[in-house]
Amino acid sequence: MTIKVLAFAGSPRRNGNSETLLDWVLASMAEDPVVSIQKVPLTEANINICRGCNACEKLNKCVQRDGMDIYHDKIIEADCILLSSPIYCMGIAALPKALIDRAQVFRSRKYVLKLPVIPPERKGKRLGVFLASAGQDWSYVFDAAVPSVKCFFHVIDIKNEDVSYLMINHVDEKGAIEQHPTAKTDATNLGKTVITELKKRLSA
Amino acid sequence: MVVTVLGISGSPHRHGNTETLLDSFLDGARSAGASVEKVVLRDLTYSPCRGCNACHKTGECVVKDDAIALFDKILAVDCIAVASPIYTMGITAELKGLIDRGQYLWARKFVLKTLFFSDDHIRRHKGLFISTAGQNWDHVFDGAFPAMTAIFNGTGFEYYDNIIANNMDEFKGIKNHPTALKAAYAKGIEVTGVIEKLKGS
Repeated sequence: MTIKVLAFAGSPRRNGNSETLLDWVLASMAEDPVVSIQKVPLTEANINICRGCNACEKLNKCVQRDGMDIYHDKIIEADCILLSSPIYCMGIAALPKALIDRAQVFRSRKYVLKLPVIPPERKGKRLGVFLASAGQDWSYVFDAAVPSVKCFFHVIDIKNEDVSYLMINHVDEKGAIEQHPTAKTDATNLGKTVITELKKRLSA
Repeated sequence: MVVTVLGISGSPHRHGNTETLLDSFLDGARSAGASVEKVVLRDLTYSPCRGCNACHKTGECVVKDDAIALFDKILAVDCIAVASPIYTMGITAELKGLIDRGQYLWARKFVLKTLFFSDDHIRRHKGLFISTAGQNWDHVFDGAFPAMTAIFNGTGFEYYDNIIANNMDEFKGIKNHPTALKAAYAKGIEVTGVIEKLKGS
């Protein structure tokens, strides 16, 4: 058994708080030998924004030729998809929003063309994880990001109840998350929980 | 004094539902005597915020591109109408990219304390959010409002109102919506009048 993990690091700032959170989860997952991880920093992914042309509703593919040509297939192949983002201006950062908007091709496939996104035998056997950090200490600082994240996982056939969230507020300067009392432990536990659950579902 | 209104179209799709709604608002403002300009973000070149936080020290963005000139323009007008369709429960990546670039103004306000908007300034500057969504859910715009609050706060505008219309998929476009275009036109007249009065006082 191999568990394919695809992780998008959404921050324009490399190795900042949200990416550190992601790295902790991935390190915990990587302890299991069946796990194969690909981490993709969106700063290097060459994913253009959605042009809103709606051509995918007819073509079943995007008219743009860019990084999504690669990640479209990888999103389908993965057993677990992680996305991390900082909160900028009360929402998800522009880079991960671009990735999420480009998932429109899956939405068109699913709801307009009524074609499968993943084969039926893999349904319910994929899990999603969203990781975020925010400088503000407001409890509601993540509220506007979550609905977009739900949409993203929904159109790639990962149900709401199969998405885990770890969102840490009040960490602003680079490295601030290292001082957080629970973030690292929670991230490590999350990585283990997700892999244990995936093993259970994949062998079922 | 002439009221100046800047429309910012954040849709990658030219002359679609959202831009048409924005146009109606701008037409209303123009008919009331405002000086109107429209900027289409698609025609500009700017990169997303790099999160480098250099602006926290200098108050300036290290990236020199069209975003800075646009923020200069925003800071010089009486009214901004910021328009974006709803994509995956939020504003477009294009508009979010611009809003995030306003971090240097936030830094001036809260870190360096070199920028301050008085209550009177905020009262005289009105910001409106213009949007359409395909979905018929009432909560489809909820994810957009906080980002709008951020740009209006950052640039010294009162968040005056929303001009929003959902259920575009069923209406088959804004032109078939019973009230939205007329309401947007009327709102353009209204806000121009309000600002005119404030400027005269």
